[in-house]
Amino acid sequence: MWSKKAAAVTGGALFLALAGLIRLNYLFISAGLVMLIFVVLASFLDVWMPNVKIRRETTSDNIFENGDMSVKFIVKNKGLGIGFVEIYDQLPPQARITKGSNYTLLYMRPWQEVSFEYSLKLPLRGHYHLGPVKMRVKDAFDLFYNERIEESVHSFSVFPEIEILEEQVITSRAPKLLSGAMPLNVIGTGTEFYSLREFVPGDSLRSVNWKALAKKGKMMVNETVREDVMDVILLLDAREVSAVGGGKDTPLEMSCRAAATYAKQLLDERNNVALMIYGESVEKIDLDRGEHHLFKILTALSSAIPKGNLKLEIVMKDMLPYIPSGSPIILFSSLDDDHTISEAFTNTISRGYTITTISPSSLDFEEKMKRIPAQPLLIARIERDNMISEIRSFGMQVGDWKSGEAVNTALQGF
Amino acid sequence: MEEKEVKESRLPQIKDIINYNDFFGEYPLIFAIKIISSLSLIFVITEFYNYHNPLDSLFTKYVKQLSDSSAGSEYFSSFKPDPNIFVLWSVVAGFIFYLFTLLKGKYKFFVLLLTIIFVGQYISDPALDWKLGEHIIPSKVGDEGAEKWTWKPIKILYEDKKESVERINEFTTRAATLIFGLIPFLGIYGIWKRKAWAVIGSIALAVIIGWTCNPNYCLENFDADYCGYDSKSKESTWDETLAGGIFVGLGFIIYIELSYAAIKYENYAEQFKPAGMDNSLLTDAQKKGVSKTLRTLFVSYLVNLGVMLFLTFTMAEIVINVNDYLSTTEGIIQDSVELQGPYGIVFTSLIFLMLLGFVRMFVGADYETEES
Repeated sequence: MWSKKAAAVTGGALFLALAGLIRLNYLFISAGLVMLIFVVLASFLDVWMPNVKIRRETTSDNIFENGDMSVKFIVKNKGLGIGFVEIYDQLPPQARITKGSNYTLLYMRPWQEVSFEYSLKLPLRGHYHLGPVKMRVKDAFDLFYNERIEESVHSFSVFPEIEILEEQVITSRAPKLLSGAMPLNVIGTGTEFYSLREFVPGDSLRSVNWKALAKKGKMMVNETVREDVMDVILLLDAREVSAVGGGKDTPLEMSCRAAATYAKQLLDERNNVALMIYGESVEKIDLDRGEHHLFKILTALSSAIPKGNLKLEIVMKDMLPYIPSGSPIILFSSLDDDHTISEAFTNTISRGYTITTISPSSLDFEEKMKRIPAQPLLIARIERDNMISEIRSFGMQVGDWKSGEAVNTALQGF
Repeated sequence: MEEKEVKESRLPQIKDIINYNDFFGEYPLIFAIKIISSLSLIFVITEFYNYHNPLDSLFTKYVKQLSDSSAGSEYFSSFKPDPNIFVLWSVVAGFIFYLFTLLKGKYKFFVLLLTIIFVGQYISDPALDWKLGEHIIPSKVGDEGAEKWTWKPIKILYEDKKESVERINEFTTRAATLIFGLIPFLGIYGIWKRKAWAVIGSIALAVIIGWTCNPNYCLENFDADYCGYDSKSKESTWDETLAGGIFVGLGFIIYIELSYAAIKYENYAEQFKPAGMDNSLLTDAQKKGVSKTLRTLFVSYLVNLGVMLFLTFTMAEIVINVNDYLSTTEGIIQDSVELQGPYGIVFTSLIFLMLLGFVRMFVGADYETEES
């Protein structure tokens, strides 16, 4: 293909030759013809597209939001093709290059292997891919070029950012709900002392309280509080309305970050965690524990897209039969555009479940974007405050999470 | 232990005054490209004005006639553009202007101000003598004890108006030659400042100025003393002009290609810099890596350019000689086609180019239409 430069040089050369004829200027004629000859000869230099093999080495296949990923791009010429090659590794539009470059220009020789490195950062969760690779072979003077797209793609996921929850917040504000292996206030296997009783055959000698034996003169054993893990249900609102705002500042993005943070914390404490994402339909990650399960939850959170307008009441009606009795539910929702919230909470509470709500305020984003005039915004704020007060009146905990604040601060409202 | 307070020097550091890094560049190779490109520009422009005498230009005719007939004729009386002078000075001026653009912030303003003041002072100095009164204004005058304040304005005495006129004359003459000097001025500025528009502008100006030139046109309007030649016999022969034109054409190609290469490779090196930072943040290994890549690219580029220039020169010589042979050899071609003339050389060249086009259909890479 002709480059712009080739078109300009050829056009200029023709103009010089013709102008020379009109003005009878031999210098113009000869200069124009020399330039034309140069362009025509350069067209022979238009080299063959090299047959290349491309691979990438990355530091990780998955990163967290704002995490760095280093990419080593390796290209090997498998044939005899030779020439100036421009290589452009296509990146997701959200990616920011922090080091190096995803573009290179090189003079490729037969069987040569060349590599270049760059680091990138992605601020938004999701599933992305590097590539395809745009290759452009051109002559030395950038007059003619040949382009090809190499379908070499490297997929990776960006997980929501996980914050470290302050222990103090968990223990002081909601100690029993969120601390994982929790005492159930019944006698059983555990570490926390509950009471003393007389030794009966079958009791382990380990549980004998020797001090009590010395004091009372008969065998006494310690009874402990039974501890068990919880089944925690994380419920994420991914309806269309949760995309209010832009970039990282949307209720959905904040909810995903919060859900990832809680999932990590709860799984670290050996709880069973399930994730349900509702929007157009309900996507479910069943109860499980461990590192692998965290990976599944993070992957599901990365895939969450704002879609649909499923109401909370319908979701709860469908889901409650499958949720273990008494399991705490943590709802991540901006509580917008859902008139069924009160009924959903009433139904859920009446069945013996507790719902903790972490609610990122979408009004902050609207205010930031300056899309709502002051007066309607004020009314919307009052309505939201009323809604939160109503939920709190059920005895449930609601965290009014402001934009830009850490997840920890959402808990502090409890 | 008491910490010693380090006092900052009041003198500004040179890096705060001028961005000298831009001049030397991060890589010596690019600096070398700029020098070679500048030299080729000087060669091309010199050759260009050897063929296109500025005195034969329409610009000269109109500027001269306008100045001779206008009230300010005395200021233009010595207008006579001489390539031996203005090419060199325009190159220097273009380079100084580039250096001026490297100055930072207030220093740029101060230098501009000083330049204006110096030029004004240079022109006005002979004519103006600032004579002060006995008393600096305002002052008491009259008898002792008098309370009368009066103004004693500074007197401006016109001492040597002629010298000032000569200086204005010299200044305007030099400024007028900028019409022709703009080609090297813009070219040098474009090469060093990496401005493609300036390089393109210099080429466009060369075409425009060349267009306005007619051989011996000066003699039609002015006398031989002014024009510097008295007969039309100095016109070059057809062969000489064509042969000279090949070198000018090659010179233009070198100038265009090298200035383009300087911009291209500088931009290429630029991308390795961290955003908004300078090269100092790159490790030595990274700098060496970029230098090595640049060296490989540039050596390959130079080899390609050298081969291409040689082939172009050979091809152009062949075309001219074939044309010369056909046009001077008696036979059917000479009888039927008028080849010895500008149309003839263009005709022969186009035939050659057409043949090369046919060859290109069978030789060389073809374009791929599908993605791999």
